[in-house]
Amino acid sequence: MAAKPQIGPSLGTASPRPRRRRSYMASRSRVGYLLVLPAVAALAAIAIYPLIYNIVLSSRFDVLTEPGTGHFTGLANYRQMLTDPNFWGDLGRTGIFMVISVTLEFAAGLILALIVHREFKARGLVRASILIPWAIPTAVSALLWKMFFDIRSGFVDFALKALHLPGANLVWFNSPVLAWVPIILSDMWKNTPFIALLLLAGLQTIPQEIYESARIDGATGWQAFWSITLPLLRPAVMVALIFRTLSAMLVFDTIFVMTGGGPGQSTEVVAYYDWYKYMVSLNFGFGAAVAVAITVLALILATVYVRLLRQRGGFMT
Amino acid sequence: MPRQVRRRSLALLSGAGLLLTIAGCGSAPAASGPHNVTIVFASQGLGTEAQATQAAVNSFEKLHPHIHVQIETLSASSNDAYQTLITDLTSGSGTPDVITADVIWPATFAAAKWILPLNQFHPDTSRFYQGMVKSGEYQGKLYAMPWFINVEGLYYRTDLVKTPPATFAQLTSDAKSAMKNNSKLTGLAFEGNKYEGAVTVFQDISGGFGGEFLNAQGKPVLNSPQNIKALTWLNNAIKTGISPAAVTGWEEGNVQQAFLSGDAVFATNWPYLYPLAEASGSAVKGKVAFVPTPVDGGQATASLGGDDLVINKNTKYPKQSWELVQYLTSAKTMTARALISGDPPARTDAYTPALLQKAPWFKQEEAVYADATPRPVTPLYPQISAQIQEALSATYSGQLTPTKALDQAQKAVEAIVSGHGS
Repeated sequence: MAAKPQIGPSLGTASPRPRRRRSYMASRSRVGYLLVLPAVAALAAIAIYPLIYNIVLSSRFDVLTEPGTGHFTGLANYRQMLTDPNFWGDLGRTGIFMVISVTLEFAAGLILALIVHREFKARGLVRASILIPWAIPTAVSALLWKMFFDIRSGFVDFALKALHLPGANLVWFNSPVLAWVPIILSDMWKNTPFIALLLLAGLQTIPQEIYESARIDGATGWQAFWSITLPLLRPAVMVALIFRTLSAMLVFDTIFVMTGGGPGQSTEVVAYYDWYKYMVSLNFGFGAAVAVAITVLALILATVYVRLLRQRGGFMT
Repeated sequence: MPRQVRRRSLALLSGAGLLLTIAGCGSAPAASGPHNVTIVFASQGLGTEAQATQAAVNSFEKLHPHIHVQIETLSASSNDAYQTLITDLTSGSGTPDVITADVIWPATFAAAKWILPLNQFHPDTSRFYQGMVKSGEYQGKLYAMPWFINVEGLYYRTDLVKTPPATFAQLTSDAKSAMKNNSKLTGLAFEGNKYEGAVTVFQDISGGFGGEFLNAQGKPVLNSPQNIKALTWLNNAIKTGISPAAVTGWEEGNVQQAFLSGDAVFATNWPYLYPLAEASGSAVKGKVAFVPTPVDGGQATASLGGDDLVINKNTKYPKQSWELVQYLTSAKTMTARALISGDPPARTDAYTPALLQKAPWFKQEEAVYADATPRPVTPLYPQISAQIQEALSATYSGQLTPTKALDQAQKAVEAIVSGHGS
């Protein structure tokens, strides 16, 4: 073949090229487009179309119990949402839950990752078994923890009584503050392994030689952790935090199963608010507006994280 | 039949089937025409309830060889089943054709135009419990046929309490004196979790005090003095220890456990508990009675539950669907179901002497059906209920006083009813 080998279709080249060659390139790029088409189509069908549909829906009055009355309302749904104190209350609770649960899960996940990173007998077995909670469906683990905290049959009450600790005979789910304890524990139990797994992968990419030379230079284990492990782990940390923060923002099943938002409204979160508008009020326009608001918040959070990751990223980026 | 012939007839049959399918594509299916149709029946219920449904469907298919009924089992959790159905119905799907609906759903389904008005089939509802028929009516039309009735009443231990309490004060003092003799006893076990079951209990008590959720004009009257009295009474039961604080997380299953283990003097629950209490090996066998809740200025109130049958508006086979509904709601089928699963028939003529002999507790239950009170029949009920649930839960957890909680609920429900809130 006389033509120079070229990798990939070159698009938008300004300089004029021989006619035959251009048609060859054009046909090559056509093939390229055809090859990515299925992926783009799938993405459009499962992500882009619903997103746009939802945005359109959010600008409409669309209440299922009033069929035939659907019409365009502009920003009315958003206005109603932003003036609803329940929305802000639920958003605030979501934020507090996000900060507390992600912090605790990260700390626990880091400790867990450091432990299983060490050499010991049956390490593979331990590594596999810490993943078990993560593999259990959220609704099931939430139900499990709900039963643990049951005052009649739960082991928490039993254990506290046996150890003569305060907290026995407490009805955890009847207190606006204490109800969060089982919720956060259940969330931690389920998600800590996930963070540990990501951090473990990060730990394994840190070359052992760096630790060796640090030891030769006389660094203590603690110093090595602060000056080597943590900085080099940053990319993995960021990935773990993005995933966990975003899914903590969307927490629903744990709370739905454990408290139903109660007692009163004290464990209602923003995803619960959205579920209520969709499935109880059957107000699909309003529900869509809340969903759009959640999407925007998630995008903002993700952008902030990605920026942080890019700016200070290590070799993993 | 020789194999050769059988094979040939099979081939003929499948050929005919193919032809029919092709024919079916062109024209709308004729009513009880010669060709086979499959209708999907979405139903809840596991165990003996599922057995009863299957048995009824089998005998229906024998009577109607051209109708095949496919049972789609929905989640046993009412909330989850509701959401599955909403998804199906919103999409405009023609299946499920026939749907089992909790008595509080038909109004919402009818308002959303998801189900067929049944008047076109000229249903005869004269033998059904009228309170239950009303729960299936919306804007003057009938949308649901009652399938089995359920009422929430008061169970009590006949060995600990001599006569059923006539007033709420009497109930309190009966519970207290039984607890004095045995400190392990729970005075009143009731459903206090934040869910629909807490609302039915509250309605039972509220009705006894003379309260209601919506008045005759459909206006919310949640913070009436009667309702405040009722909520205060329930809340005091927790505060004074007649009910353990744990009831704030209890649902029917927990109440059942407390009562069947012999730990509770009084319990609010549904008829399903009766056969369990009278089963051999039960700790309370022969020591149980079932009555409406007491009265204090109002009237005996037993919240109405139970299941209706409704027909999907987009069904391709309305006539066949109606035939199934008619069969399932016939007295004979209901009696058979009651014998298999204990589900109380929704029509009076299904309580045959044979049934009453085998399940004598139905006699006591029938007395409670007389006080059956439906929850507000409105498409907005799910939202109204959610506000009441929040008020009850906020009160039981000590976040709000009964008055404050009901004031808040009243405001929220006023907004919902007037269309300015959701």
